[in-house]
Parts: sequence; C-alpha cells; structure tokens
Amino acid sequence: MSNCETPDDYVKERINNIVIFMCNECGQGSANTAGVARMAYDAAIRIIRVQCTGQVGPIQIMDALNNGADAVACVGCCLGACHFFNGNVISMHRIKLMKKVFKELGYSDQFVNQYTSRAAEGETAVGDFENIIERLTTAITEKGTIKDGC
Amino acid sequence: MDVKVFQFNGCKKCFNESLLLKEGAKYKVEYVSDPKNWKGEKVDVSVITGYLLLGDLEHLQNIKNNSNKVIAYGDCTATGGVFALANQKGHDVTPLVNLIEDSNSVHGCLGEIEELQLAIEGKEIPKLKSLCQVCSRKATCDYLDSINRQIELEDSETCFNDLGFLCSGFTATECKEKCIDYNTPCRGCKPSIDRSGIRMMAMFGTLAGNIEIATEHNENGATDKLADEDDDVTRSLPDMVGNFFRFTLPTSGLPKGRIPSSGTLLEDVFIGRLIEEVPLIAGLLGGAKSISLTLKFIETYEKANQIEVSEQTKKYREELLQLEKELHDAIDKEDATKYKEITDNIRAIAGNMNLSNVFFGGFKSQINESDNFEDYKTHIFDVVEGTYKNGSVEYSIDSEGVIKEIKITEGL
Repeated sequence: MSNCETPDDYVKERINNIVIFMCNECGQGSANTAGVARMAYDAAIRIIRVQCTGQVGPIQIMDALNNGADAVACVGCCLGACHFFNGNVISMHRIKLMKKVFKELGYSDQFVNQYTSRAAEGETAVGDFENIIERLTTAITEKGTIKDGC
Repeated sequence: MDVKVFQFNGCKKCFNESLLLKEGAKYKVEYVSDPKNWKGEKVDVSVITGYLLLGDLEHLQNIKNNSNKVIAYGDCTATGGVFALANQKGHDVTPLVNLIEDSNSVHGCLGEIEELQLAIEGKEIPKLKSLCQVCSRKATCDYLDSINRQIELEDSETCFNDLGFLCSGFTATECKEKCIDYNTPCRGCKPSIDRSGIRMMAMFGTLAGNIEIATEHNENGATDKLADEDDDVTRSLPDMVGNFFRFTLPTSGLPKGRIPSSGTLLEDVFIGRLIEEVPLIAGLLGGAKSISLTLKFIETYEKANQIEVSEQTKKYREELLQLEKELHDAIDKEDATKYKEITDNIRAIAGNMNLSNVFFGGFKSQINESDNFEDYKTHIFDVVEGTYKNGSVEYSIDSEGVIKEIKITEGL
C-alpha cells in the first residue's frame, strides 16, 4: 500500500469508462444471454464488439487508454474453443506482454486484462465484469489511476 | 547555403558525424556545441542533434525563429533515442516534433549523412524497402516454442525471430549499417512506421503463441482468465521496455514511467537493462568514447567470471582503442577526411559505429577473410549474479542478468 489517500468514493468516481472488447462468438454471445436473463452489471462497462479478440492488439488498447478509458479488457472464447483458430490465445499473449510493460513502467498491471466466457452462460460475462471492477478498484487504491498517479 | 549544427545533450556521435557535411564544400557549415549561449543570427538550415529535455524549449524556439528550416538529425532528436529509456524512471526526454512545429526528421542511430544532405537540400528521402526485404535470412513465421536471449552463431540462414531472438526488422527500414550483418538482431533504430515498438510487441505476442501461459480459474462466473503470475513468456523477456522501445519510448504512446529515479539520467538508462544488451547500449550512447566504455564493461565481466579471451580478440580490441584515440584527434581538428578514414577502419572491425560486432568473449562475425574465425569467435556465457567493478565503471546484476545498480564515474 502506498501513502496516497484513496477513500472509496474517490476510487468509484474514477471508474467511469471500462472498454471491453468482446468477441462476436462467445464473448458477445454470453453478454446477450445475460441480457435475456436480465442480469445487471456496472454502468461503467462499455462493450465494443470485434470479430475475434485476436484482432485486438496493443495499438487498440493504448488508443483506448490514451483517449480516456480507465481500463481495457478483452473477453474471448474459452481456451481451445476459439471459433476461428487460436485468436483468444494470441490475444492472451499480447495482453500478457502489455501487462509486463505496464509493470516495468511502474504502473499496476490491472489496466489491461483478458477473460473468457461461454455463450450459453450469461453469468460468465457478468462475472468477468465484476471481476474487472474489483481488480481495478484494488489497483487504483494501491497505485493510482493511469492518468494521475499518487 | 548556411548550415548550423547544434549539439544539445547526450552522446556527440551524430554531431561528430555531421563533420562529413564539410566534405565537398557544398555548404558553409558551422558547429555550435553550446546552443544555450548561442546569440542567434539568421541561418538557412539548422540541424539539431542530441537528446532534448523540456527545459531546452526556449533555446529551440530561438533556433526555430532564426532559421528557415529545422532538421532533427539522429534518433535522439527525432524520436527520443536510447536516452529516452530514462523516461521509464520519470525523466522527460522529448523528441523535437513534440517541442516545435514544422521540423524534418532524419532517423537512425547513427543517422545517415546522405539522408541529412538530402534533407538539407530540401529533397525527399527516397522510400526505402523494409529490412526483411533485404535480409538474407529466411522467415517461416511459425509459432515459437521458447524465447532465447543470447545469439547462437551456428545458424545464419533462419530468421532471428524464428530462432527466438527479438529482431525488430519487421518494423524497420533498410539502412547503411545493418546490425543483422553482424549476427545482431535489428534494434529498430530506423522505424518504417509510427509507434513501431508497440506494433513489434503485437507481432511478437503472436509469434510467442505456442508458449504456454498461466491461466487461472475464476470462481466468479467460472471462466478461465489470465493470471497475474509469471510464466514462461514473461520470464524469458525480463526487459520489455528496453527491447521493444529502445529508440522510441516517448513517441510510442505508452504513458510516462513512474519508477523512482535512482541517479543521473545516464544511469537510469542502464538500470533495468540486460547484461547481454549492455555492450550495445554502451556502444550507442558512449559517443566518441563508446569504444573504451564498451570494452570496459565487457572486460570487467570477463575478468570476474574467467571468460577466456583469445590473443586475436585482444589484438583487435587494442586496435579499436587506438582508433578511438585517433578519432578524438580528428574531431578536435575538425578534419573530415581523417574522420571518414578512421570511422571506416572502426567499421571494418566493430561492424558499425554502434559496435554491433563487439561482444563478451570475442567478436560476433568474421573481421578479415584471411583469419580463422574460430580464433576470436564469441560464445554463449553464463549470467552470474554479482557486483562488477573496474576503475570508473561499477555495476551489479541480479540472477536474471538485469542491471540493478550502476556507477559510471568517468568515460563520458
């Protein structure tokens, strides 16, 4: 824990925009299922639909973060179940490298994350969203946001 | 045509190289090594070399107001260069394009003098091929099973990236002093595209697709998710910033680093880098003293770890040191012909002015066709944790080979 003062309200105020790249197959599918089941999730989540999370790379992630996103996450198919070939694994590798770069620059590595979900289970998508916010809250409390460090 | 060359901070390699503008006496060239005290007078073309800090803005405005054209020569001025690695620790090395408007850039570390001449004359720099198009190695772009850090010299046919070394050739253009000719993967000093580092990182993420990564079971909704613990991918890449953003950190779009600074800007450039990268970085930023600095780093490590060095290697190293002394004389006298002759001799032994050919235990490629390469061939060495000291240079590395502390008291 660092010395910066981060009361709960302060942290909540700073989580406004979380950009989620969801793949068209399992990712968006599970979000649709969650919608049919009328599950609620945080209003800060902004979903961008992509064909496959393998399309998303560091360029897109950094563009989102530089243009006001508080965190970015990719939600793809489960490992071994990519509807193309292995787009979700490639995306995982890229995000793993991004995390490492963030750590080397002295930031928390929770500003980028990779998740998987299953189209038939809406709670997987909503669970991922909750997990993102939980991790981001801890990260901001400890090391500050990506824009203003403490 | 009136040309003025200004040297700001950092190594003076590009500044010295601009001596060659005097050859042929096409322009009236003047050198200003202390731009902070420059009074200001009208000039046709101003060439800026060296890395820039935010505090230099005032002087740059003065230069800009007095000249018809401003050219950033070399990577330090154009994109931040190797000194910008200190931005990881909160320094503010800034490229010229971010400080003043309407400037031209000549990329490269060292920048090529022919391109600078074209830029001065207002001609367009011809569109160059990508480095991979001129590389003799063959790429398959297969997924990698492992990432390697030290080069094996046996295979000279396969692409560096296929062998698991990080070569930035995908995002670089062809250049005069190709590191790839000396068994050194491209370091990306002449990018062919903006934000080249981040694009190379994406490419390498794809290439590493076969390496297993840690995943974790998430109770909350029961999905797999990327775990935060180390795995094979991150363990084999201990220094991402130094590898992918070696010359382009301020223009890469990444946020400024928040690691606390541990000393001077120069020491911050070294800290966090890998031991096998150190000769190359010392070769980059040592300027006119790069040879002695690089050899000091290498010899310190060799002596402490009993790495055998052949007589032939020692002979070539002596020759390099001798050439460095002669180079100082030529620079002091502003003798362009002599400068060219000596740098050509250095290139014959060290590969290029960044000393790509010089390494621990020997040289990476054959220097003369007549000698036996086995006599001075470098080999893979072990990374040994410890503190190494030799006169003006002192550094300590951890078990992964990452530099933790460094002190350079003289030599720059």
